[in-house]
Amino acid sequence: MQTIANGILVGALYGLVALGLGLLMGAMKFLNIAHGTFIILGGYISFWLFDLWGIDPFLSIPLVIIAMFLIGLVLYIMALSPLLKLPNIGMRIDTSMLVTFGLIWVLDNVMTMLWTPDTRTIMTSYTGETFKFFGIRFSITGLGGLGVAVLVAIALYFILIRTYFGKHIRAATQDAEAASLCGINVHRIYLLSSGIAIALAGVAGVIIISTYSINASGGISWLLIAFVVMILAGEGNINAIIPAGVIFGLLEAGSVLVVGVPYRQAIALLVFIVVLMFKPQGLFAKKD
Amino acid sequence: MSFTWKKLLIIGLLTIVFIVPPLVMEIGTAVMNLLIVLFIFIILSQSWNLMGGYTGQINLGLAAFFGCGLLVTHFIWKAGIPIYFAVVAGGLSAVVLAGIIGLPTLRLKGAYFAIGTFALAEVCRIVVGNMFARMVKMPGSYAIDYSLIPRYYLGLIVVIITIALVYFVTHSKVGLAMVAVRDDEQAAQVTGVNTFKYKVYALLISSFLAGLAGGVYAFLRLSFHNITAVFSPIWTFEPLMAAVIGGAGTLMGPIIGSVFLVVLSEIFALTLGEAHLIIFGLLFILVVMYFPYGLVGSVDQIRRMMSRFRWSISKVQQKM
Repeated sequence: MQTIANGILVGALYGLVALGLGLLMGAMKFLNIAHGTFIILGGYISFWLFDLWGIDPFLSIPLVIIAMFLIGLVLYIMALSPLLKLPNIGMRIDTSMLVTFGLIWVLDNVMTMLWTPDTRTIMTSYTGETFKFFGIRFSITGLGGLGVAVLVAIALYFILIRTYFGKHIRAATQDAEAASLCGINVHRIYLLSSGIAIALAGVAGVIIISTYSINASGGISWLLIAFVVMILAGEGNINAIIPAGVIFGLLEAGSVLVVGVPYRQAIALLVFIVVLMFKPQGLFAKKD
Repeated sequence: MSFTWKKLLIIGLLTIVFIVPPLVMEIGTAVMNLLIVLFIFIILSQSWNLMGGYTGQINLGLAAFFGCGLLVTHFIWKAGIPIYFAVVAGGLSAVVLAGIIGLPTLRLKGAYFAIGTFALAEVCRIVVGNMFARMVKMPGSYAIDYSLIPRYYLGLIVVIITIALVYFVTHSKVGLAMVAVRDDEQAAQVTGVNTFKYKVYALLISSFLAGLAGGVYAFLRLSFHNITAVFSPIWTFEPLMAAVIGGAGTLMGPIIGSVFLVVLSEIFALTLGEAHLIIFGLLFILVVMYFPYGLVGSVDQIRRMMSRFRWSISKVQQKM
């Protein structure tokens, strides 16, 4: 039971990590390799807010969202919008992958200079405290992470399904050219949704720094998790990302029982590759 | 395949420049070390180039082949077998690894291939890190007569083999098929090219080269405090950067890119420390966005611009 509980808590975080990546990939066909690095950046902003002004990490989430949203806008204007001119989508994915790959180097080293290579974490009064519920221990920060993940996912769902803005995003996802013929400003949609995607990465970073710890070069391992969850959910299937994250978390937690802690990640990645090969459209794909 | 006298002369001169000096005079240890690292980078970036530049499959798992070659070379050499055989064995072991993990991932397309190879390289890193938790090192007797000169020549030989191999592969029918796969996989398939077969060829050759590079590195360094460091993604990413900055899909590109990367990092290491990577990252982004053919291609681009400029000037003069 404890294993399942841990798996769910970790899995919700994994889902949150993958949301921004899934939005960029699904809606705009930009593969953002620097996603993990943006997560770390969000964590560092929260760390700064806590360290300099003593703002609680969970309360700093709105500030981090604003800051990361602006960074996302800058990212789109500077790096991603020139790629829209490329002739086909395959090239857009590949080139955006390479561009954001260069971004990893820039951001990683800027962060190393600003915040030193030391591992950072936020110690609040409740870090590490747990409470028992039917004999299962839940950590408070883990539960907070779960709550935030679910809230963010629901908010994103409502934005995508219930607002005109979300309708425009979905239209642009299906056919950018037809959408712009219908009078939708596709560039503005892309601009805002890349802002949202980077802001989601920032939220994930805040949860990570309050639950675990981060260091400047740790983005790559989170990137890999985001990839895995995105593929499990199926490309462009944003609503399935949180469930896919929970499945991945359970898988990881379950493999601890079978093969032990050291091989935990390896097993999860192997399962991921098997899924990628035999069901590349994801676990939650609708049957046509 | 036409060898002109001019080309042969340049190749001969280059070989002499690289072969003779260590025999007749003492080059500083620092320079020697730098050259060997440069050789390793050239091999790795050529290896990535064959896969990413010519065949168009972005491989993010190069580090796994490099590390595999390194480990196998290390242990075979430790068993008392001469280093040259050990290096070849290292290369072949990387081919075997490519056969096991690469063939399934090649079924994946485009970005999924990149993600899949990346994940597999991480699996390798985790597994190897758990297997060799302690320091991996050669016995002390190997360290007594340690000299850089044999390392230098081994690196040089492997570089020459690499460049020759890439040259001949890309100037053959196989190379043409690879380029066809890169440019339009479906069209290639329709015209009767077995695209999967050529992707496999590219992967096997590329992993062989990466394994050789690992062997050279195993010869250069006798002990590894933390064996996971040689499987770390940095061994994929830096060659990728070198190849793309120099010009992916060309023979000279990775060489120029490697020289550029290694020399610049050496220059900046004293003044800027790690900050040179920021410059590389920015440069890399600019190259990807504005010079898709890298430094090599940008020379052509500028030349074309100049000739167009001259042409328009002559037009204006005619009108006057």
